[in-house]
Amino acid sequence: MSTIGNEIQQKETEKVESIDYKMVTFSLSGKDYGIDIMKVKEISKAKRFTFVPNAEPYVRGVYNLRGDIISMIDLRVLFNLPAQRPDEDSFEDMIILRLDDYQIGIIVDEIDKVVGINSETIQPPHPIFGDINIKFIKGVVENENRLYLILDVEKILGDKTEETGERLRPQLVAAAGTAKGGTGKAEPGGEIDYSFIVESLETLGGFFVSDLNKEWIKKRFTDWKKQRTEKKEEVQLQEQSEAELFLRPFYSSNTGTFWSDNYRDALKERLSGLPEQGNLLVWNPGCGEGYETYSLAVTLREVYPSVQLKVWAHDKDLLHISTAPNLIFHENIISESLAEYTVEGKNGLQFNKSIRDSILFEYHNVLHSNPFPEVDIIFARDILSFHPQAEQNKLILEFNEKLKPGGFLVIGEHEVLKHQDFEDISSSKIRVYRKIQR
Amino acid sequence: MKTKADFPSINERKPDGLREDGGAYRVLIVDDSMFVTKQISQILTSEGFEVVGSASDGEQGVEKYKELYPNVDLVTMDITMPKMDGVAALEKILEFDKNARIVMISALGKQDLVKKSLMIGAKNYIVKPLDRAKVLERIMMSLK
Amino acid sequence: MRVEYINPFVEAAFNVLKEVLNDDIKRGELYLKSTSQPVLGVAAIVGLTGDVEGRVLFDMKKETALSVASEMNAEQLDEMNDLAKATISELANMITGQAVTKLHDLGFKFDLTPPAIITGENMEVSNSGVEALIVPVELKNGKIEINVAVRERT
Repeated sequence: MSTIGNEIQQKETEKVESIDYKMVTFSLSGKDYGIDIMKVKEISKAKRFTFVPNAEPYVRGVYNLRGDIISMIDLRVLFNLPAQRPDEDSFEDMIILRLDDYQIGIIVDEIDKVVGINSETIQPPHPIFGDINIKFIKGVVENENRLYLILDVEKILGDKTEETGERLRPQLVAAAGTAKGGTGKAEPGGEIDYSFIVESLETLGGFFVSDLNKEWIKKRFTDWKKQRTEKKEEVQLQEQSEAELFLRPFYSSNTGTFWSDNYRDALKERLSGLPEQGNLLVWNPGCGEGYETYSLAVTLREVYPSVQLKVWAHDKDLLHISTAPNLIFHENIISESLAEYTVEGKNGLQFNKSIRDSILFEYHNVLHSNPFPEVDIIFARDILSFHPQAEQNKLILEFNEKLKPGGFLVIGEHEVLKHQDFEDISSSKIRVYRKIQR
Repeated sequence: MKTKADFPSINERKPDGLREDGGAYRVLIVDDSMFVTKQISQILTSEGFEVVGSASDGEQGVEKYKELYPNVDLVTMDITMPKMDGVAALEKILEFDKNARIVMISALGKQDLVKKSLMIGAKNYIVKPLDRAKVLERIMMSLK
Repeated sequence: MRVEYINPFVEAAFNVLKEVLNDDIKRGELYLKSTSQPVLGVAAIVGLTGDVEGRVLFDMKKETALSVASEMNAEQLDEMNDLAKATISELANMITGQAVTKLHDLGFKFDLTPPAIITGENMEVSNSGVEALIVPVELKNGKIEINVAVRERT
């Protein structure tokens, strides 16, 4: 008797030891499920799917996975299971499945791990095991004291109809089709296109669309779409270089270089009106390598020759700002008027001591506390747009607190600020606001 | 015929810590760090010096010097210490014994305090981290 | 933190640690933290005065502190006793001292106060809302985070 027992035991162990089926496991409403790993393309976390109108409730929307438009099914909704309503900003676990030539994503509560089993240990499903329609379950299997319901993905999403089966595929294809704009209706397609561009700008370009820059982005999108369609090129941004191409016209003039005389004149005209004596304090967040900072310091020195000028120049990119204090350059990248404030050194030109002493370059993240006094001028071109909305708001709050009444705030040429404490005194070249004196 | 005794072994070097008369140089270590005191002590005793006392602040250092005098040949003095720093202690010891030999030990080099010490009358200074060779060299120089 | 202050600290940390530990040490990437709280378990603090106000903090796990102290004393130390603490204090003192010396050569007047060691879980250090520059140094047995929080004396 015992020998037979041993034999069975041995066979069981053998079964367990020969793994020929691997599944990705996850949980839905507290129960464990598994999916054949051969059908899984990748797993990921995601948020903010683009809503697709006229789709079934279990279709959460579509997701831009590096250029591919994938429909996202919320399995919990599909199976009528209770699900927590996610916050706008939380990431959800998703599994991208590949069926034949078709990709689809499913959203689950929590992805667990990959489990290897012997396919012979899979038992046929019994209604008692699950609360979802049994025909979606391929089988059940036990592994390390946990019971997994293995889902039949084809049944859930495949073309085949059963007596009580649901046809999901055609609906999904239609939804995806709408997303791609392939149905020919320009309006809804256009909106989806635009929202994808907005997302890509964020992920590929670190640029965040908000009230600050929406106007410009919309206009740019229209031009961009026209250009790309004419050239029969993809409208969507697939990689970083394309995002950069899209954003190129956004940057204010003279970004990353010493300023031209025209720009300096335009700025001088806008920044006059502050006291001619005493301290002139300036905050220059996002100063980069310092070209802007030096140009600004010289320009202000020319407008206010008798003040004690002090500039706090900040950047959180150490590589860029580390060269700023001792910036050395060739005379052919600087205008003559700016060059008057330079001195010749062994390796090239440097700004003179007076200008350099007036600038404090700090490796600093302006979202952290800013321990310096109120300033007369804040020079922050094109920095707000490269921060997420919440941080943009925080920065604007900080600018407001740190700017003296009557002081000037200069932002990017294509940025727009609508704030009750700031009066728009912009000119054609300079986007500048004055803090209202109350 | 010359015997071995006429040719003293070239490999035998006299340890730095021994004076001509055969006795050991006597050192007072003044430092608020247990670690540094231990380090200096180890370096010196391994070369035949005798550590005759130690103090953990300037005040104690001055007292100890006065107690030990004239049986102390050298003082190693840390610059930054609580209660009374090394420079003040240096001054006080030199007031008491103008021939005192004091070597400053510091984490700071070429600093105003080091310079000041030398001007007041310290014989030499050593910058941390302490290197055995450097320590012995500076101390030997100060003993001349 | 003023750009010119950064290199002296990075170099001093690297030079001193390399000298006292006879070890292959690696510099990690610098970054900024919004708060200057020490987080790893043992912290040696050296105050800074002069052109700035603030402090340097050497943050490390207890095991790392023991490993470093053991190596510096050429004897195995198994608990943070007086000798181990004095050793870590001295390490902090030497690194800060060398940085201050370099800063002096660059024309910046810094001074340092005697170091203090604090140990324990959930340490609270005041002024934790001040931004800190973190210089991570990887050792054989752990890492030391050099945490510098200073601001210009305006």
